[in-house]
Amino acid sequence: MSHGNDRSPLARFPRIPPQILRLILLTAAIVFSYFGARALLTPPSFGQHGFYRGAALGEVAAREPVYAGAKACAECHDQEVAALASGGHRLLACEVCHGPGQVHVDNPDIKPQILHFSHCARCHEASISRPKWHKQVVTREHYSGSNCTECHVPHKPEEVP
Amino acid sequence: MKRKWNRRGLLGSIGAAVTGLLALPVGRAAKAAVQKVLVSTSAPRGYDPTKHKWQMAIDVNRCIGCGHCVEACKKENHVPEGPYYRTWIERYVIAKPETGTGKARGKTWVDSPSGGMRGFPELPIPEEDVLHTFFVPKLCNLCEHSACVQVCPVGATFDAPDGAVLIDPNYCIGCGFCIQACPYGCRFMNPLTKTAEKCTLCYHRITRGLKPACVEVCPTQTRVFGDLRNPTPDDPLEEFYRRNKVQVLKPHLGTEPRVLYAGIDKEVS
Amino acid sequence: MNLEATNLVFEVMPRFEGYAYPNEATPHPLWTVLIVLYPYITGLVAGAFIMASLVRVFNVRALEPVYRLSLLTAFAFLICAPLPLLLHLGQPQRCFQVMITPHLTSPMAIFGFVYAWYLMAVLLLELWFDYRKDFVHWARQTPGWRGLLYRVLTLGVDDVSPRAVRLDERLGHALSVIGIPSAFLLHGYVGFIFGSVKANPWWGNVLMPIIFIMSAMVSGIALCVLVYMVLQWARRLEIDIRCLDTMAMFLFYALVLDAGIEGLDWIHRVYSAEEGFQIMQSMTQEKLFYTLNVGQALLGTAVPLAVLGVLQLARRRIPDIWRKRVCFFSALLIMLGVLAMRWNVVIGGQMFSKSLRGIMSYKMEFAGLEGWFMSGVLFCLPFVLLIMLIKLFLPKEPVLSGQTLPLREPAESCATI
Repeated sequence: MSHGNDRSPLARFPRIPPQILRLILLTAAIVFSYFGARALLTPPSFGQHGFYRGAALGEVAAREPVYAGAKACAECHDQEVAALASGGHRLLACEVCHGPGQVHVDNPDIKPQILHFSHCARCHEASISRPKWHKQVVTREHYSGSNCTECHVPHKPEEVP
Repeated sequence: MKRKWNRRGLLGSIGAAVTGLLALPVGRAAKAAVQKVLVSTSAPRGYDPTKHKWQMAIDVNRCIGCGHCVEACKKENHVPEGPYYRTWIERYVIAKPETGTGKARGKTWVDSPSGGMRGFPELPIPEEDVLHTFFVPKLCNLCEHSACVQVCPVGATFDAPDGAVLIDPNYCIGCGFCIQACPYGCRFMNPLTKTAEKCTLCYHRITRGLKPACVEVCPTQTRVFGDLRNPTPDDPLEEFYRRNKVQVLKPHLGTEPRVLYAGIDKEVS
Repeated sequence: MNLEATNLVFEVMPRFEGYAYPNEATPHPLWTVLIVLYPYITGLVAGAFIMASLVRVFNVRALEPVYRLSLLTAFAFLICAPLPLLLHLGQPQRCFQVMITPHLTSPMAIFGFVYAWYLMAVLLLELWFDYRKDFVHWARQTPGWRGLLYRVLTLGVDDVSPRAVRLDERLGHALSVIGIPSAFLLHGYVGFIFGSVKANPWWGNVLMPIIFIMSAMVSGIALCVLVYMVLQWARRLEIDIRCLDTMAMFLFYALVLDAGIEGLDWIHRVYSAEEGFQIMQSMTQEKLFYTLNVGQALLGTAVPLAVLGVLQLARRRIPDIWRKRVCFFSALLIMLGVLAMRWNVVIGGQMFSKSLRGIMSYKMEFAGLEGWFMSGVLFCLPFVLLIMLIKLFLPKEPVLSGQTLPLREPAESCATI
């Protein structure tokens, strides 16, 4: 026997070979460390709604919007919105042409962008890939200048001089 | 080298182990309490994810391929410059069959330059050779049995209770398995955060009662968005279902995508 | 009106022919050469271990001289296996999450547990039971830090009575038996990582784990052949020709099985010609022409099959020196061929678009974390480790399993009790 005096508590048990005993103890230590580490390191909200960190829902939702939404524009610019409401651009959001507006909503001194001719052509350049009911022109044949607003009023696109 | 086992030593070791084990749940509870104070709760601003089910539908007959949705998404979600798109538009051009070939249709061309963000260039073939051509917006298909969620090794991407498929950027290890597993190519590796990223249905907007940025800026109401659990009186989704027979992308893969497409062709995959 | 203003400057030249989803048009593929290396290394581990198991489980006595060498080789490569993965992760500092919150529907989540199980419960334990009595003897005789190392490795157990040694052998045998399915699991799950991706027709099929396991066995046996021959040459010792012949025989039959299964996969793809077949065929012809036809098929499979086959048929008539050269040469070709196979699977699966309409062009870099240079370093690392292990645990005198010899005082010998 390589270990133990006769009063060792282990002497009462059937003799476990020493290498097995050492291995059992080592395995137990590893397993307990693993479960301990798991208990410590698992994020607290994990498993709240499913197999993920519940807090992630809040974190993803906490990002700040960059586009304000059409309703936000109407709060101050009700005249322009009313003008739009009767024409072909009535379903067009303000921010499509004027760019993201949350910055402007938060601080009205920061002006949103005003766009020029190339922006109109983006939707209205004629292409057979576009549906027939959509108003489109071959800009090369339609107009030789550089500013569509010479003739068209963006908020009332049907108005032409 | 001999080790002498004695009762005192053994009991001492066992006692130390048990104390160590008991300390762990105590430590963990303390840590959770501290974190609860510091971190916001998981319910964003009174929003209950179990009370909503977001739905997106695409009416391809209406898309004009202007690319505003792609641009708005990039700006809204701070997507890096480069080949990284949470949503994009594809243009399909189906040619007329060449005479004498005995085929019903000719070749198909598909392109998506910069995701369609700045519109599309000239057609690849002369207009008179074109049989059909149309635009198809693509985005996360909100699958019922997402392959991406199935393969994430750590639980960093998940099906939220309200139908969105989200990524936890603070937990993702950047292995890229979800990107390989998505059949629709809607995921990418963000080069700055080195984590996976994808369309979140503008989760930060819809939880505040706003619409996703792509839906907001679409000039022709191609993208139809709504809440299946709380339909509004003039719900555009109901009209969409009434007017259109619908399809989904790659149904044979069994992912059960929930984004419905109206007006696509067999060439769209 | 200036049409050029609407007409559209695109930010990058498309990196594909045909059409690829915009997210696929990145400069580099998502899973690069590091992910080619990882299956290669774990395959070598599994194959080397199976070689060792042939001795213990199937009592192939002829392979006795390479028993310990195979186990040490498997160990050296297993230690280095997680490195390519860690380097590849976008957030490697979060890697522990795989063990803390493993998502059990994901084959990748199995990695932490299978690796830990295989390393600790199979390989290290089997090594320990085989070496334990040697550790005890060496600990007594070797001074300095080396002696301390051996003492630590005995885990404080110094019982080398005949009963204890017999118990060691029985337990070692049991572990070898458990080790065989564990080795299959270690490498099979890697194959399943690819086989489970239904979105990618190049990867997602049921034969993938089997193909990976078979090519792993082939590469592992080939590695053992190479390591054994190089070691004996470096030590200016004789190569046990019977051992070499047996290894060559197992290598040949494993290669026959491997070629058969891969051939079956190829035949099925060509015959059933399912949805993605056209684009995959274009992809293999354009992007994988040399690595697939020349690297994997011709040099990696056909040539070794032919020469090893000749060796099997005409064994007695071929002089020893030629048998050795043929074995070495075939083993080298097979190692390269299996590396080519891993390349073809991993990189090939990313060379065509999931839209099934396009083929991508990616750049492979030399420098950087995912470049060639790093891969070269990562592949040399296990060999460096193996040299250290051999110096520590494989003394120069031919050691048969169960016999020990002193390291420093040749006059004093400690035979097994």
